[in-house]
Amino acid sequence: MTALVYTGVRKTFGSTVALEGLDLVIESGELISLLGPSGCGKTTALRICAGFERPDAGRVSVSGSDITDLPAHKRNMGMVFQSYSLFPNLTVQGNVEYGLRTRRLAKDDMRKRVGDMLDLVELSTQAKRYPHQLSGGQQQRVALARALAVQPEVLLLDEPLSALDAKVRTTLRDEIRRIQTELRITTLFVTHDQEEALGISDRVGVMSEGRLEQLGSPTDVYRRPSSAFVARFVGSMNELPATVAGPDALRVDDLVLPMSVGPAHRQGDVVRLLVRPEDLHLVDDGGLPGSVTSTTFQGASTTVTIRLDRLDRLVSLHTSGSEAAHVTPGDRVRVTVDAAHGLCESAGAPSPAVRDADDAA
Amino acid sequence: MTAVAPPVADSELVTPPTGRAGRRRNPIGRLGQALVVVAAFLFFLMPLVAMARFSLQSVPTIRLNWSTLFEGWSISGVTKAFSSPQFWDALRMSVQLAVGTVALTLGLLLPTAIWVHLRLPRARAFIEFLTVLPYVIPAIALVAGIKVVQPHARWFLNSPYSLIPFYVILALPFTYRSIDAGLRALDLRTLVDASRSLGAGWGTTLVRALIPNLRTAIISSAFLTMAVVLGEYTMAQVLLRDTLPTFLQVFRGPEPRGSYGLALLMLLATTMLFAVLSVATRPRGRNKADKASTATIAAATDEPPRKPNP
Repeated sequence: MTALVYTGVRKTFGSTVALEGLDLVIESGELISLLGPSGCGKTTALRICAGFERPDAGRVSVSGSDITDLPAHKRNMGMVFQSYSLFPNLTVQGNVEYGLRTRRLAKDDMRKRVGDMLDLVELSTQAKRYPHQLSGGQQQRVALARALAVQPEVLLLDEPLSALDAKVRTTLRDEIRRIQTELRITTLFVTHDQEEALGISDRVGVMSEGRLEQLGSPTDVYRRPSSAFVARFVGSMNELPATVAGPDALRVDDLVLPMSVGPAHRQGDVVRLLVRPEDLHLVDDGGLPGSVTSTTFQGASTTVTIRLDRLDRLVSLHTSGSEAAHVTPGDRVRVTVDAAHGLCESAGAPSPAVRDADDAA
Repeated sequence: MTAVAPPVADSELVTPPTGRAGRRRNPIGRLGQALVVVAAFLFFLMPLVAMARFSLQSVPTIRLNWSTLFEGWSISGVTKAFSSPQFWDALRMSVQLAVGTVALTLGLLLPTAIWVHLRLPRARAFIEFLTVLPYVIPAIALVAGIKVVQPHARWFLNSPYSLIPFYVILALPFTYRSIDAGLRALDLRTLVDASRSLGAGWGTTLVRALIPNLRTAIISSAFLTMAVVLGEYTMAQVLLRDTLPTFLQVFRGPEPRGSYGLALLMLLATTMLFAVLSVATRPRGRNKADKASTATIAAATDEPPRKPNP
């Protein structure tokens, strides 16, 4: 069953186009992330769903009924905000009760619901505390409980983790996913952090300049990006100059790599090959020669940056712990490319959007 | 002289301390600071002491010196004022005006300031400028304007309560600043959005989410308004109204001592008002936070060890 549908939703602020005709269908009980650089329209999409912004054109419907013209307080949405949004004058309990009071729930039902919600976010012992007595992570958990207490049709999460430090962020991220699966609540999660999006979503929508570039499972978006923008924005990418050697082959320097090039490029075209770091490997023979410029130890793996001699280009790849011990800056190495998951892009195509995205991220 | 009180108190209430003064550590600097404080204290206190002696000592003015310091103190002048029925009428009128002005100020200012913060943030500087105007333009100029239109609006201006809207304007420099500072301290947009997404309309949002969090700002703007109304003389005098300040002026003829005694009393009352204000607006929940030591730990370390749930 479809829970939330955007049809041709368009929104401009002055001369800036925030959303350029968004079409999106979210199934009931699904968690969809909208991922994109700042200014891509993801937050606008969320705020339109919440009723805080009115679209210039297009419709939004929830469970089959059109809510485009409904004011925010008459929609049944639960929202968690980026900044701490708890009412400072109310206790944890008072905050969670807020939405229930506006719905005029009976006292006993209210008490029970609040208790359940605080159990769910594991904060039952803090019910009498005021927001300023809680840590950031606790505050966001209360905000989550408050949003869920009203039993919303859709849960809207507007970068709820971005104000938290790294460790709390991971814990709370997993907790959000656990609660979401437990309650089977339809959730729209807006983030600029690809790790968050890939980590907890059923599907990820990558947005750029008001458009949905790709919507698919985290694996799809990462492994089969539909555009160079998605490829570069989600995860990191190596770029190599290449020539099309045939419908199923690409030549990079003196290596001929098997790869389905696609109908857009003809033999002899000069293109750019985009490959993930995990598709590059260190080898003893063959491959492209280069020298290690830096290594970054990351615990389980090490990222090695290599300057390729003949292409005069920096590439990075991951090595596992034991292998990494032998690699130090200045070493001569050889690199092979597995282009099967790579992406081909015309060399003339500019990629300003991606540059902006990198800056924003 | 009561009219002097609001601006002083205002700057104390609204502008946060800059923290420059306490930074010097050397003893000569400290001494210098102490001297300045003492000098300022004397400068403000001496006239008050003189006024107290004049009004509360039944000693001829020419004999008021060190040797007569403890002679003939009495409050008979002030009690004479209390026995005058005009005093009670004037007091009642002033209190009514004060209450009316506070009500109208808050009723108009709160929604307006919130709306400006939410919808017209760029107009904030302009609105702030507008609200300072009554402070820059003397009250006598305003009342001259009122006099010009009076023949055309007698139905309104003949009522003693017609002073209320003008007092709202006179108090604007203080009240708007106070409310504005309160709003700046809140994440207004998020609070409003959160409240609305939880099913609260604008009215409920205002009453349940915003007003409790603007408590300090509202209380201080109310007290500031009262101080302005209780001290305003020019308009009341020109429009021939019997308020406390105009009563003082009239009373000064037959009873100069009593009149200054009363003025002193009003100054004391205003000071008390601000003392009450600073106690009433102390942030809530702080004491509780200090008592609950675990809470302070929770605030200091980001994620405290979570207790397992039964």
